[in-house]
Parts: sequence; C-alpha cells; structure tokens
Amino acid sequence: MTALSRRQAFFSPLPLFTFAIATTLAFPLLYVAYSAFSAKGAVWQRLWATRIPELLFNTVSLAIGVGVTTLFLGISLAWLITRYDFTGRRIWEWAIVLPLAIPSYVLAYIYTYLLETGGTLEQGWQMVMGAEARIFSPYSYGGAWLVMTLNTFPYVYLLSRAALYNFNLSFEEAAQASGATRWQTMYRVSLPLIRPSLVAGLFLVTLYVVSDFGAVSLLRFQTFTYAIYQQMTGRYDYGAASILSLLLVLFAFFFLIAERWFRQQSRFFQTGGHIRTKALIPCGTMQTLVITTFILLIFSAAFGVPVLLLIQWTWMTWVEGEMGSGFLQYIWNSTMLSGVAATLAIAIGTPLAYLACRFPTKLNLFVLQGAYTGYVLPGPVAALALLTLFTQYLPFLYGTALVLILAYLVHFLPAGLQAMESAIQQVNPNIEEAAKSLGLHALSSFRQVTFPLVRGGFMVAWILMFLQAMKELPATLLLRPVGFDTLSVRIWLEASEELYQLAAPPALLIILITIPVVLLLTKKNWRAT
Amino acid sequence: MIHPYRRFKAFAFLTALLILLPNLSMASDQLIVYSGRAERLIKPVLDAFQAKTNISIQLLTGSSTQLINRLQAEGKHTSADVFITNDAGTLERARELHLLKPMKIEGIEHIIPQAFRAPDNSWIGLSGRIWIIVYNTSMVKPEQISSLFDLADPTWKGKLAIPTAGSEYLQAGASVISATKGEAATESFLKGIRDNAENFVYGKNRQIVDAVAKSKVALGLVNHYYIYRHLAQNPKAPIAPLLTDQKKGEMGLIMNATGIGVVKHTKQAEAAKTLIQFLISQSGQQMFAERNKEYPLHHMVKADPTLPPRDSFHVAQVPLARLAELREPTMLLIERSGLR
Repeated sequence: MTALSRRQAFFSPLPLFTFAIATTLAFPLLYVAYSAFSAKGAVWQRLWATRIPELLFNTVSLAIGVGVTTLFLGISLAWLITRYDFTGRRIWEWAIVLPLAIPSYVLAYIYTYLLETGGTLEQGWQMVMGAEARIFSPYSYGGAWLVMTLNTFPYVYLLSRAALYNFNLSFEEAAQASGATRWQTMYRVSLPLIRPSLVAGLFLVTLYVVSDFGAVSLLRFQTFTYAIYQQMTGRYDYGAASILSLLLVLFAFFFLIAERWFRQQSRFFQTGGHIRTKALIPCGTMQTLVITTFILLIFSAAFGVPVLLLIQWTWMTWVEGEMGSGFLQYIWNSTMLSGVAATLAIAIGTPLAYLACRFPTKLNLFVLQGAYTGYVLPGPVAALALLTLFTQYLPFLYGTALVLILAYLVHFLPAGLQAMESAIQQVNPNIEEAAKSLGLHALSSFRQVTFPLVRGGFMVAWILMFLQAMKELPATLLLRPVGFDTLSVRIWLEASEELYQLAAPPALLIILITIPVVLLLTKKNWRAT
Repeated sequence: MIHPYRRFKAFAFLTALLILLPNLSMASDQLIVYSGRAERLIKPVLDAFQAKTNISIQLLTGSSTQLINRLQAEGKHTSADVFITNDAGTLERARELHLLKPMKIEGIEHIIPQAFRAPDNSWIGLSGRIWIIVYNTSMVKPEQISSLFDLADPTWKGKLAIPTAGSEYLQAGASVISATKGEAATESFLKGIRDNAENFVYGKNRQIVDAVAKSKVALGLVNHYYIYRHLAQNPKAPIAPLLTDQKKGEMGLIMNATGIGVVKHTKQAEAAKTLIQFLISQSGQQMFAERNKEYPLHHMVKADPTLPPRDSFHVAQVPLARLAELREPTMLLIERSGLR
C-alpha cells in the first residue's frame, strides 16, 4: 500500500467513527483508572500486603487449571466426533455444546447442592469408599475448577471441531504415507495445524475464567473478581474495587498481547480448496461403548444432571403452587435486551474488526485492543462507571434500557470481535480489490462482496454475544430500570433468598431459550471462528 | 431472495427503534421503592398499602449495598422515593452519605423506640430480628450453653455451623459484640468459631438451620425467623433457639432492625410519609409479625405466639446507628480472624 492511500485511509470518516466508538467503550476503564489512582496510598498498600499475591496466585492457577482440562476435554471430544464413526455420533455432535446454555452461577449453585457435606454425591461416594470417605468441598479450588471447566469446555470443542472439519486431509495422508502411526500423525501434524483454533478457544476460556463473577462468588473462591465483588458489596469501597479491577485489566492486557503475538507467529493459510470429508474410522461394540461412556460422563456432569435437577425443582414449585407470575414479561425483557445488544455490537464491531484486519496500523490495532479490555473489566465496576456517566452527562437517557445495552456492549463486544476478526481475515483481500477495480465503492464492496462471505462468522459472533448477554448478572442487577426484571435477575432474587427451588423455573427458562441459539453454533457450514 | 445485508439492516433498524422507545409505563402517582429486603417478605405488605391508598408502588429489589452505590451515583437524578433495607447499619450509612431526608412524623417517639431510629428520623426501624443460636435438641442440652461466647469453646469442634464472612448479619453481630466486649474479645470469639466450624461454613441461613435439623452439626448461628420458617414446614424438626447472655449485666441477645428511609431528592415526600405511617401503624406491624415472624417494633403489637415473647429476654444496648461507624473496623477484624 502506498503512503498516500494509507493517509487517505486514516482521514476518511470510518477511522474517526471507530475511534469515537472505542473511546466510548473505553470510558468505564478510564473512569476506573481515575478512581484507582485517586484512592489513598494506604489502600494500595493494604491491598498489596494482604490480598494481591493470594488473588493473583488463585486467579492464575484457576485459569491454568481450567485451561488445561478444557483443552483436553475439547480436543478429545472433537477428535472422537470428527474421526470416529460410532452409534449416536450425530446426536452427541451437537449435544456436547449444550452446557453453554447454562449460566455459570446456576451450575455453581447446583454443584454446591450436590457436593455439600452429606449431600447426594458424598453419599454416593461413601457407598463406594466406606462411611468415612469425604468428597472435596465445593468451596475450594476444586469446586471452582470443576464448575468452570464444565461450563466452558464446549468453546474449545466447537473451535477444534470446526478446524478439524476444515482440515486439508493431504497433510495427514502425506504423514501416514511416510510411515507415521495414527498417534504420531495426530501429535505432529494435525494438532499443530489446528493450533490457531486451539489458541482462540483457550483465549475465550481464559477470559471467561478471569472475568466470571457468578461461579466464584457462589463458591467463595478468592479470585480477583470475587474480591472485587466483596469490596463492592460488603464495604462500599469503590477505590479498592477499582484498584483490583485495574490490576485485573492489566493482567488481561498482557495476556491479549501474548495471544496476538502468538497468532501472528503462526499465521498460515490452508492450501487450495481440497476440502473433502474424510472417511470415519468405524468402531466395534467395545470401542463404541468406551467412547459413549466417556462422552456420557462429561455430558451428564455438565448438562444432564443439572437440568434434571432443575426440572425436578420446577416441578416441585409447580405442585406446591408457588410458581411466580410475570414470566412472559421476563422472557421478553431478557431476549429483547440480549438481541438488541448483540445486533448493535455487530454493527459497531464491523468497522473495528475490518479496519484492524485490512489496515493494521498501530492506531487501529490500539483501538481494537481498547475495545477488548472491556471484557475483563468487572461487571459491577463497569456498571457503576456507566451509571455515573449517564447520570452526570446524559440524565435524559438514564432510566432507559439503553444504559444496560451499553453495559452489555462494553462487556461482550470483545467476544464477538474475536470471531468477526477471524472471519474477515479468512476473506482474501484480492476479492475486495477486484470488486473495487470493477468500480464498486468501498462501502458497496463490503456490502456486496465481503459481507456475504463473513456472514457465518458474524452469526457466530452474534450468538456468542447474545448468549453471554442472556446470562449476564452483575451489570443487569445494578443498571436495570425500575420495574424491568430479566430472567437472570429473577434467578438471583430467588437464589439470594435461599430458595433454590424457586430459582429453578427462571433458570430452566434461560436454558430452554438459549438451547436453539446454542445449537445454531454447531451448524457445519460455518467456518472456524 | 432478499440480500442478506438488507435483511441485516432491517433487523438493526427495528431493534434500534425498540430501544429508543421511551419507557411509557411511568404513571405519575407512584412511589419507587429501592429495597434490599427479600421480595417475598416485603411485597405483600406493599401490596396491602397499594390496595388501601391507591398509591401504586414500583419495587426494585437488590442487595442493600449495591442500592446505596446506585443511589449515590444517581444523586439528584434518582428515580427512587423510598429506601428499605434489612440492616440498620446500611440505613445509617445512607444517612451519613446524605442520601436520606429527615422526616417529621407526629407521635413517632411513642411508637418506635429511640434505639431503632436515626436521631433525625431520616430512617425508621420497622421490625426486629435476632441473631441467635439454633441447637439440635437431641444433641445438646440447653444448660450446656449460657453464653454466645461458649461457641468458641473447643468442645464444639466440628459441631458448629456458621455463616460466611460476607454475611451482613455476621458483620452486624460482630460489631455489636465488639461495641460491648471490645475488639480483643471479639477477635478471639471469631477465631474460636472459625476453628469449631471447620467446613461447616454456609452462605445461607437456611442451610445452617438445615444442617442443625439433620444433625450434621449440633449448633448454628442464624437469624431467628429462619428457625420458625423451618419449623413451619417440618413441625417435628429437633431444633430450638437458645436465649443466651440473659443474666443481669450480661450482653443480652443481638438484635438488628429492618427499616425505611425517604430518599433526599424525592418529589413524593408526602406519599412516602403515608407509606411510613402505614408500615408503623398497628396493622402494618402486625403483618411483619405474622408473615415474617419478625419482632414488631411497635410496643403495642405482640410478636407471633410461637416466638419467645419480647419481654422474656433483653438485648444488647448498642444503638443501631453505631453499626455504620463500626463497620470498617469490624470488617478488618473479620478479615484478620481468618473467616471466609
């Protein structure tokens, strides 16, 4: 690209628009940084001496633990599904994704019930191991690790499955022709080739683990987000909360840079269009049995048992006549908000992702990174920042759902950007250039040429954001307009009254509504995100 | 076929319309209540008020602290008229932050005792709740424990269930103990119950009562009405409350109050006052007593007959308004004692 066209690219309205958007998105972060630096030195000192080392250790070790196990589960499931032919394969192929429909706080409260001392799982364990046997407490590293792993492994599964499907088989065949065994082929050829997808999956999981509130606060595991939650709910200490948030963002920022660097190191394109379906390896009865047991075990722990329990609780609520009313309103509020937020995010994210892919200037990349940081900025902290912004400067908009939608945008746009960016990256710029050389305006070329090509990736982005917005809790609690409850708020209201049984109907509804959306993610013709 | 981009544009346009629609449901004669109380405990009372006065009520339930944060950030743009919480310390904190409006209510001094009101009546207590020991009647004889501080004794190792450090009741309770007995005694008490509770640390009062009723532990620390809520569903459960520290000169039971305050920037002060008058009237107080099994603060209204009568015990004489100033030192104390 010549220097002239680069300058044109900068001064055209598009970059200015994206810059404005990124600044808006970065506002909560700026506000948090401001509060953190205006906090007293003593607060910094106290946090540094008493909390930060422990929180850092716990957060990092949770992220590593969950990362390792989700990688193992995700890859092995994807491998079984894409390479072996066994009875029930077609059903499992999509059923494995269902755990994404369960909000982390719902899974956490189900596991606190199952794992409590003298609870169902412990009684079962004692039948096997003798009466003195103890199962691990849910309020520990083990509990947080288990819930987070079961809640996030489908991300890795989805991405590695898509990569394995889109895989050029010639490489594997070449390896086998050269005498490599099946295992050698997998470890030395296939896995390295799908590495970008694995990294993207791990990236999603890690960001999720470090930013999730629901599970760690229910399981009382001392990570950054839980400590922030405690500062915000127990002590009115916005200063301390913003210091911890800032550190969390910093931590995530390094992680983002590392991820981007890694992605640039391993950028490669698959050659040619020889995508064929590989003949699946047929399985005997024994093999089918082993594979099915493995999948069934994971599926029941992550989805089957929790949903059965919710159904039972909902049924009990129904029988006892304690079912609340107004569910239609909550369903509408939840889906409307999440749908609007996801759609707006696509509209706003497109120019950001497009510019960062096609004109990766320092400024454009910086703008993109700025948007990413919103993902880890803890919900309650970001929400309070937005609340302040609106009441101070835009009071006429305060009290509408717009505030809430903006909070979702700040928080979930990064998850979508990730998918949109890789979708755009897969479109060869030559096609756009060709369209332009034929006389199409830049905008029309995007509309008529690029958009149809990236539609699948954008759909995935929309779904990811919709899902997370449906399940969002901390910001919704703080920012919802009066008289505007969502399903997730209803779950919290009942669960915080210690009425798990009454929390079951809204939890079940969220899951039922999100299942079809989750299943859209498994459609084969959408390329890897 | 419609071009996908056009479809996308239409969708985006529609959704944009949807969010820009103003909130049309706002009627003029209504009170907006921010409430940190369980919806199930406060909504029936507010419904009764609506039916009686024709003032409609919009309820926003959240955690008390979060609502204070929200009120503070909203400042004069707040839509809230009234603030209700389950902890007097929180209300006093709101008063200190100048979020509440001092009220003049005729005859209030004859209805709600001084200890359960702010000095300037910017908040007013509505009902009392006691932080109390629940014991398993087949595992413990009531003579074995005469004081709350006995819980820290090593004989109860592995036999006690306690709430998490995040519990507002534990925080308020520790503040009251520290105001009567001093910080050192409080710290050793907290460390003692931490050691005795081992893994029996629960986020919810109900779980503690459950653990005691199922004989997983012998003793637990809870708010009194959870005991009666459990008994109402399982009348044969082997549980009962222990009225400790009742000798002359001893601390007494720990009592906290739920309460109400009028938001400083409200334009509905008159309607808010009507609500307060309703809630402290005998019929309003009766509802707290019957439905929630709380202790009414109106001296003419009797507690539910299943509860120990209010004149059968004495409570710690710490003005609830002090809970706010004790909060930060208590939080540090709890953190130091290693409760989680």
